[in-house]
Amino acid sequence: MTILTGKTGTRGGLRPLLRKIWEHRADYAYVLPAIAVMLIVIAYPIYYTVELSFFNTPPGLQLRDKIFVGVDNYTAILSSEIFWKVTSNTLIWTLASTFIAFVLGFACALALHRDFVGRGVLRAILIIPWVISAVAASYIWKWIYHSDFGIIGAVLVQFGLADRPPNFIDSVSTVLPSLIVVNIWREFPFAMIMMMAGLQTVPDQLLRAAKVDGANAWQRFWHVTFPHLRNVSTVTILLLAVANFNSFIIPWIMTGGGPSNASHIWITHIYELAFGRQRWGVASAYSVLLFLILMMFGYFYVRALSGNERKDGSA
Amino acid sequence: MTRITLGGAVLRGTVSTALVASLMSAPALGAAPVDLSKWSPEYVRSIAGTQDFDTAADCAKVTPLDYKGRLTFWYQGVFEGDPDLLRQYYKDFFETFRKTYPNIQLEDQALTYNDLLDKFRTALLGNAAPMAVRLQILGGTEFASKGYLQPLKPEDVGYSTEDFWPGAMKAVTWDGVTYGVPTNNETMAFIWNADIFKRAGLDPDKAPATWDDVVKYSKQIHDKLGIAGYGLVARKNAGNTPYRFMPQLWAYGGGVFDEATANPTYKQIELDSPQSKAALQASYDMYVRDKSVPVSALTNQQADNQPLFLAGQLGMMISHPSDYNVMLDLQNRATGTDKDKAQTVINNMRYGLIPTGPDGKRAVVFGGSNIHILKPEYVEGGKVDEPAAKAIICMWTSPEWSLKMAYAGSNPGNLNGFKTKWMKERLDSIKFLDVTTSMLPYGIPFPALPQSPEIMNIIVPDMLQNALTGAMTVDQAADDAAKRVKELMGGGL
Repeated sequence: MTILTGKTGTRGGLRPLLRKIWEHRADYAYVLPAIAVMLIVIAYPIYYTVELSFFNTPPGLQLRDKIFVGVDNYTAILSSEIFWKVTSNTLIWTLASTFIAFVLGFACALALHRDFVGRGVLRAILIIPWVISAVAASYIWKWIYHSDFGIIGAVLVQFGLADRPPNFIDSVSTVLPSLIVVNIWREFPFAMIMMMAGLQTVPDQLLRAAKVDGANAWQRFWHVTFPHLRNVSTVTILLLAVANFNSFIIPWIMTGGGPSNASHIWITHIYELAFGRQRWGVASAYSVLLFLILMMFGYFYVRALSGNERKDGSA
Repeated sequence: MTRITLGGAVLRGTVSTALVASLMSAPALGAAPVDLSKWSPEYVRSIAGTQDFDTAADCAKVTPLDYKGRLTFWYQGVFEGDPDLLRQYYKDFFETFRKTYPNIQLEDQALTYNDLLDKFRTALLGNAAPMAVRLQILGGTEFASKGYLQPLKPEDVGYSTEDFWPGAMKAVTWDGVTYGVPTNNETMAFIWNADIFKRAGLDPDKAPATWDDVVKYSKQIHDKLGIAGYGLVARKNAGNTPYRFMPQLWAYGGGVFDEATANPTYKQIELDSPQSKAALQASYDMYVRDKSVPVSALTNQQADNQPLFLAGQLGMMISHPSDYNVMLDLQNRATGTDKDKAQTVINNMRYGLIPTGPDGKRAVVFGGSNIHILKPEYVEGGKVDEPAAKAIICMWTSPEWSLKMAYAGSNPGNLNGFKTKWMKERLDSIKFLDVTTSMLPYGIPFPALPQSPEIMNIIVPDMLQNALTGAMTVDQAADDAAKRVKELMGGGL
């Protein structure tokens, strides 16, 4: 399909551009329904969220009676203590979940790339956390972690490793790491699948040649395998980061952002502001900020994909 | 088997005129079908089964039985913590309604307590609300104040305002206009395991008299038996939390505002008063100092306490009369030795009045639900079938169904429900019902303000969590909560 660039349009003027569009009218007609749907379900909500972020919406008023407050919602957010706490939680949650899930997934992919008996079964088992419902997983983990009668606590007490069950999710200091463990458990199979797919693209002859040249396993990995996986790694990390930034189900179901906001991340905080407290304006301002951050991720994601395409084109 | 010293306590409670007056502020009280000034377990027994009602005939006067229409209806339905008995009554109600009004096309949707408000608010923003909704008592004022609801009073569905608890009518009134009809009203009671009390060296048949006693008993149970004493609940965004903490707060003489007084004005914030801080300190003492309550209290709700109680791992809790039936249901599902253990706990279940504060003040949340009709502009399709909506409201709030739909867990919103044969049957079959009906005169409604859901579901639980996790001291947590209420009432961002 032809890609029209701004450069083409400006060099030839408006008339050639319109002529090209007309020539490709059938192509545009094909994508028109998709664009229309995108405008309705994406563009309008974005516009409305941005608009709403400049209004105060007290709980005693209907949304249509909202009060214009300019950028007050933004200044209120940036000057509030909870914003910095939630931002810090979000960064820890996103970075730790993304990094560890990626490393673990990559390690599993490398292990499963070798041929051994039971590889297929093991691969299927490892994918289970990713395919089961996040809601169901959250409830199961809530009971595994239960501070009074959780399975982990019971086992530790039974074997005399602890006097009383550890407090995983009812403590401000342990709740976030505990939730991150659940999130990593849920996500590492995704990284594993991506990296397994990437490993299929590493040319065998290069690895064999390196081996003939005397390279050890680490050198083969570092100098041959890893460079071939750079792009798929970037894409995987970006996708994981975006998913983690937007992650809602696990923290909301397991702790509701508590105790004492210790596991609130941006998205759960936005939900509580909007639906629990009806601060649609402040919640919208938060959402706009989150949108901008995610757009940055989106930019890098597109760049990574474009890099792939350029490489593919030049090969 | 169960010896509950109700007489004296109930007498003292009845004399608590301030609280009673708060609930009986209707001018036509003398003409009320049920004399609230005589309220006692004996009085309730004396009126039970004294009057018959023909629901279909009564509702036919509101909406003819052959009326043809369509109704969308959402309601706070049964949830995992409710007994099977209640599930059956809900099923029966909708079957009966469809038989009684065969030409009304009913599209009903049940939602849990914790989900209903969020979903309803979202639907309203998109003008996609149902024509009628049954909301928790906390929600009516919020939506009435915003102009979403149509004026609706008991007289519009064939009853009299005096047929309902005055306290419940307050919760459906905003700016002098009535916007709904109460379906059920409830007060909880104090439940304990007599066997655990005995093994912990406590009197097995005596409930703790004061909240200070609850703290002491909880510690004693934990220290002697290594199990949780009191079933504290402090999860955020869960209705169970205010229903269990507010009685404690009020008993100590505290409050969010002056909602525990006879004529509340909601002007003065009391969350940072010494009395409120004393109530918070009691929770702190149990959770942090004595570690005598479930550690999971911050993420759990009452439905999580029920299995703990049944497993004999929890000594005391605040709950509905329905918990006895819930325990029976859970016991029926147990197998092997668990079944016997559960039976032992059921045999040892005791109900009593909720403890008082240091000054003898006893309080409980006056809970329940109300039914409302939406304005057409907020309803999907822009039309409200009023006769159809009134038909279901008439039926649900009738003496018969307001009792049946509250059979195990609550009490009829329509006071005439107490006169029906089903009330008599209930008194005979539901253990401990006397205790929870005895708590009704001590009931305090949540502040009738649009800000109440945020205060009760978020600010109060946050205050508890801040203190119990050590994120703040008790004083700081109370001051912070008071500040947040002040900002909220001031329309802050």
